[in-house]
Amino acid sequence: MRIGARFVDVHQNAKAAGLVLAGGRSTRMGAPKASLEWHGSTLLHRAAALLGRVVDGPVVVVAAPGQSLPELPSAAEVVEDPVEGLGPMRGIATGLAAVADRASAAFVCSTDMPFLHPAFVSRVLREFAAADTDVVLPTARGFRQPLAAVYGTSLAGLIADLASEGELRPGMLFEHCRVTGIDDQQLLADSVLARFDPDLESVMNLNSPDEYEAARARPPAEVAVQCFGALATAGHRGPRTVRAATLGAAAEAVDVPLDQYVMAALNGDLMTRDPHLPLVAGDTVALLSADAGG
Amino acid sequence: MVPGGYFGQALVVDVAGESATGTPLQLDERVLRAYLGGVGLGTWLLHRLAPPLVDPLAPEAPLAFVFSPLVGTPLTTSAKFAVVAKSPLTGLLTDALASSQFAISGKLTGNDAIVIRGRADVLSVLLIASDGVRLVPAPELAGMGAAEAEETVRQAHGRGWRTAAIGPAGERGVRYATISHDGRHAGRGGLGAVLGAKNIKAVMVKAGTRVAVADAASVLAAAKDLRARSFGPATKKYRELGTLANLLAFNAVSTLPTRNFTSATFEGAPRLAAEELQEMRHVARNSCASCSIGCEHIYRRAGGGSQRMEYENVFALGPLCGVSDPDDVFAASARCDELGIDTISAGGTIAWAMECVERGLIDEPWLRFGDGTAVLRALDAIGERAPGLGELLAQGSRHAAGVVGGNSIDFAPQVKGLELPGYEPRTLQAMALGMAVNARGADHNRSGAYEADMSGAVDRLDGGEAHVEAAIGTEDRAAVMDSMILCKFLRGVFDDPFTEWAALLSSVTGWDIDAAELHSTAQRIVMAKRVFNQREGATAADDRLPARMLETPLEMASGRVASLTESRLQAMIDGYYAARGLDESGCADPADLDDLLLGQ
Repeated sequence: MRIGARFVDVHQNAKAAGLVLAGGRSTRMGAPKASLEWHGSTLLHRAAALLGRVVDGPVVVVAAPGQSLPELPSAAEVVEDPVEGLGPMRGIATGLAAVADRASAAFVCSTDMPFLHPAFVSRVLREFAAADTDVVLPTARGFRQPLAAVYGTSLAGLIADLASEGELRPGMLFEHCRVTGIDDQQLLADSVLARFDPDLESVMNLNSPDEYEAARARPPAEVAVQCFGALATAGHRGPRTVRAATLGAAAEAVDVPLDQYVMAALNGDLMTRDPHLPLVAGDTVALLSADAGG
Repeated sequence: MVPGGYFGQALVVDVAGESATGTPLQLDERVLRAYLGGVGLGTWLLHRLAPPLVDPLAPEAPLAFVFSPLVGTPLTTSAKFAVVAKSPLTGLLTDALASSQFAISGKLTGNDAIVIRGRADVLSVLLIASDGVRLVPAPELAGMGAAEAEETVRQAHGRGWRTAAIGPAGERGVRYATISHDGRHAGRGGLGAVLGAKNIKAVMVKAGTRVAVADAASVLAAAKDLRARSFGPATKKYRELGTLANLLAFNAVSTLPTRNFTSATFEGAPRLAAEELQEMRHVARNSCASCSIGCEHIYRRAGGGSQRMEYENVFALGPLCGVSDPDDVFAASARCDELGIDTISAGGTIAWAMECVERGLIDEPWLRFGDGTAVLRALDAIGERAPGLGELLAQGSRHAAGVVGGNSIDFAPQVKGLELPGYEPRTLQAMALGMAVNARGADHNRSGAYEADMSGAVDRLDGGEAHVEAAIGTEDRAAVMDSMILCKFLRGVFDDPFTEWAALLSSVTGWDIDAAELHSTAQRIVMAKRVFNQREGATAADDRLPARMLETPLEMASGRVASLTESRLQAMIDGYYAARGLDESGCADPADLDDLLLGQ
């Protein structure tokens, strides 16, 4: 079987979605991964918000039937997998179907990847846009990464069909569609990714309490914060390097409250004052007066 | 019974030959309540007094100085007036606000507005007091800078008079000449040229009466409260650095128009930043009359002297022309003040000409981006309307592009003929809509839709339905603030603006106004402006942005590319028309015209 759909439209105009698979039993972790605390929010919130930083289409969280979810970014959508326990491929099919009318491709990740870097997501999405393919499948840190990969949304039907036939392994899907691999070297050809995630920790997932504790104990990434205007008090002009996992932490590090009078710009681009917005290594945060009158 | 805060009349001053005659025009209370004052009442007066299709520089074209019910009260920032006329730059309605004692003295001549028509035989000064009007020939003022003229007539006529004057550019009909008073300008749209066409160098007003408010104790309490709030965090930016604080911040978020809108970031921005100048050059802070904010920041010029600097004049005479030396920008701003020309239109027109030179469309090789001396030289040529380049650029970028031809209109930075302010529309797409549909043309004071873009409430790079709602909301708020009148720099202190403004107006006027009525007032004022423009020939084709903004994507510092396509803008415009109750051509429903009280 081969997917007939082409993805030429994703090259320029079509949107890319983000899917976070929130289901799974979290057996080894002993607690629902989605709700594990991560620097003031949760692992799931971080994953969804991080994808929201990169993709220009919808971000959808795929939950198990009846699954209780922590607070999510306001723009994130939730769909429930109709059947529980059929594994990630079933969740991918559900997610792709949910965004198929609004995006041509989706970056898919699991909920437990706290070091996922936007540059990784961008790199894989760019590969999809450049290739004539149905899936871009990274191989990083020695393993194929089907849960840090890009899937064409028209694969939804095929995956659902395979799942209904009991073929729940990603490998089976890859035998039925066009797959473009991308290895460490190719990934790290991206200068931003090479600079800020040289070990490709983007694909690290957390499966046990020990792994979670170790990851949680790591210092947050270094980000640059610059205050402007009346917020740039004497001696505090110019960028300052702080360690912060979220926008709120970055603002707090420079003693600026993220109140109604302050606005933040992430990397000169996204305007927000969401304190839970995830930050990653290499980010720059501009803190501005919320009043832009002139 | 005249409502509190009003005199219930406008004074129509007809100037002819060597004399002037003042005739009261009674203002029905329904009109006052429907339009409040300032820009709103001025729009109604233009409907009433401007002959259809009148040449803006013809003697019969009216020029209205319009006060408001709040003028003269202790409410902070209320000493403001609007100047309203048909613009020689756009051919449509223009209105400019300014703040000074002129507002208080002008109102206390006993008039809610002063409308000037006609033309004097020689350059003259028009004096208006509560006991009459006089025209005094003053040919000796010809060619004098606006501030010098103000000082000269003040000395000639004695204390107690307040003056609004034009510089040489207004006398010579530069289409974006300003009216100056106390160092401030009614800046946009060429109002100085309208006054100059009447051969009036200065208008002087003298207070001679008083005006009562309905509930003095309530007004006093509100004034005290508002004053306290004006010292809070909502105005901190204005108090500490002024509007120039925008420059470096806008550069950081790729919305600082640079080199005639070919870029949204400027490598020279740090040299012009308020943060830098504050440490190195700041000498004083100043306030308008009756203002507790004090947003004016004065900087030392190299070689002596000082200059008030605002974001818009620095943006237009700096980054927009590729100039990064602060002393060049200070000098250019001072020259604009002397000549009496709008810095935004001057900078925009010169930047356009610089690009024309680069493209071989204008043969003035000295006029290059980045050359501050060239900017000064161009300003002098404009002020003199010197044959050739000066005469060309004195017409504004739209007219000039019509002369130069080629595709130069595509990159003329204007809407309806008014040059764009310092907000890049491709990276602020709610603002793009606001600038496209606004009656005055490309403008940041009648549409503050950038507020939504910069708030994160909408995706500033992806204009759509939410941007329409945001643009309408800011346009409505501006319509009320500009009519009652309060300074927009105060807007952040209001938690529930329409309700709070209605309460202020109720205290002053005695009317039982609520927020819903004030919303209707805002919509009426916006509609009245549009209807006036349609009367003067405006069509939906005027509601558009320069082709550059719709055809040339802009790379941001973040690496993202900002695109504003024709179809996206049109979709927003269509949404705006629908939400405003206009038809597909942007025209008002005839059934809505009764609400405008144009027959009163």
